[in-house]
Amino acid sequence: MIRTNRLTQSFDGVIAVDALSLEIAKGEIFGFLGHNGAGKTTTIQMLTTLARPASGTATIAGHDIGTDPLAVRRAIGYVPENVRLYDTLTAAENLIFFASLSGVAAPERRVNQVLDLLDCAYLADKRVGGFSKGMRQRVGLAQAILHQPEVLFLDEPTSGLDPMGIKMLRDLILRLNTEFGMTIFMNTHLISEIAKTCTSIAVLSHGKLVFHDRIEAVTARYGDDAALEELYLSLTPVGRLAEVA
Amino acid sequence: MSDLTLTPVLSPPTPVRTIAAKDIRDALRDRFILIVTGFLGLAALVALVTGAIALRGDVATYEAAKASLLALGKSADAIKAPEFYPLRLLRGAIEQIEIIGAAIAILIGYRSAASERGRQTLSLMLTRPMRRWQFVAGKALAGIGLLASGLALVLGGLALILHLMSGVGLTSDDLLRIAIVWGVSVAYTACFFLVSFILALHMKQSSHALLVAFAIWLTLVLVAPQIGDTLDPDNQVAGGVFKQLNIAKPDQVEIMKGFATFETVRDGIEQASVTKHFERFTFAVLGIKATYAGLPLGPILIEMLGNLIWIFLTALGLGALALALPLNPDRLAKA
Repeated sequence: MIRTNRLTQSFDGVIAVDALSLEIAKGEIFGFLGHNGAGKTTTIQMLTTLARPASGTATIAGHDIGTDPLAVRRAIGYVPENVRLYDTLTAAENLIFFASLSGVAAPERRVNQVLDLLDCAYLADKRVGGFSKGMRQRVGLAQAILHQPEVLFLDEPTSGLDPMGIKMLRDLILRLNTEFGMTIFMNTHLISEIAKTCTSIAVLSHGKLVFHDRIEAVTARYGDDAALEELYLSLTPVGRLAEVA
Repeated sequence: MSDLTLTPVLSPPTPVRTIAAKDIRDALRDRFILIVTGFLGLAALVALVTGAIALRGDVATYEAAKASLLALGKSADAIKAPEFYPLRLLRGAIEQIEIIGAAIAILIGYRSAASERGRQTLSLMLTRPMRRWQFVAGKALAGIGLLASGLALVLGGLALILHLMSGVGLTSDDLLRIAIVWGVSVAYTACFFLVSFILALHMKQSSHALLVAFAIWLTLVLVAPQIGDTLDPDNQVAGGVFKQLNIAKPDQVEIMKGFATFETVRDGIEQASVTKHFERFTFAVLGIKATYAGLPLGPILIEMLGNLIWIFLTALGLGALALALPLNPDRLAKA
């Protein structure tokens, strides 16, 4: 479903993503781990066609990000780390706008369906200007699934959420994956979430892919969350993290 | 159980229309847009009332002089009655559109781009199945639509007030002239909207774009036309040097031959300003410039065609530039 081949990006001569080659199968929940500045968001920006790679290629649902970006955009949904919406518009108006941009034929009806699914129909007529981070995150998720994409990209979806919000989001992600067959690509810092949600993980350090395996294999080899954390830290050494900071 | 399992019916999206409609709805809920439109309307109204008061003063002076002459048993034919061309009262309003209207267009253009950058909503929009030019076209359509609506409100309101105030009412010819001026005002303000919009979309920091846009506004709206006027040799004495010295037209031409280079530079500075073209065109169509008062519309339009073409070509050129420049999403993600 997602295939990258030596995908590379650099800014002002500094390599942000270094020859990344990945394969993610249809129906997977892929957890992308890495320290701050590792290149996770840059990778998502390239895969969602927001940024052009310096070199390398990638395909999403069989469409090349470089040569067929419109087809890629039709196939994906994207939730950025901080969901920004139009504060003067209500949640429903924001969602109708994004549904129309995605070509949803009856946007009002679809928006109601999605808000129901996310248990946030009560937000429909409220202006998003006064929304909490959790409410924004839910509306953000709603805008990404309006057109029922094949692949959903989530950039740090749990960032800033309280434990209840994290659980609610996790349940939704699992539901979108199991009920609607969406392939999910998720950037995250939370190792505990990886084990509970993902079917495969990869670790990026300073733009380089240093680990990629299925979650069963990882848990069989490394056991619980604490062991996973140790694995993660061993792959992104403290010395290198300090260098980034 | 939600019925989300029903796959949504997808149709070809119409992003230009969708973005324009969203932007207009968003702007109409923005107090800033309402306040600046109201401010332009108020400034234009004040200018109209000031013009009307001045005219009333002229009429009163004429009536007083006429009464004095008649009281002395003399004929009142010696003094000329003030002419009342109602459209000439729009002079102040046109000057407000020229200066404040252009400034408002800059603010709307800046807001149109910078608000998306500041809110970082672009990433959500640009991951939809649309081309980058459609995003630009939708935003530009909304901005120019807002300007057109605001100008229609202002000029429509002033036309109504003029109609009620003049007593004789406005003719269909007058209304046509106001409609033409509205169309040209939209094109004129669109130029400033597009300058600001392009800068706010493409400059590294959108706040710098506003400074640059206002520097351009200052040069085109205030400096260039003033330089042109100030350096005009005939403007050095009130009423005109040649007229005051009673120099005949052929002699004027002969004298001006000695200033050919100077005149080319002076005229070039004026010609470079879209504001000057707007002023020349609107002052002629509305009969504000005495030479054109009372002349039929057709010959005025023919004579002013160059100015008209200049204004529309500038707007179209800037529109084409806005569509042609590639968007940099990485830059757009930062305010």
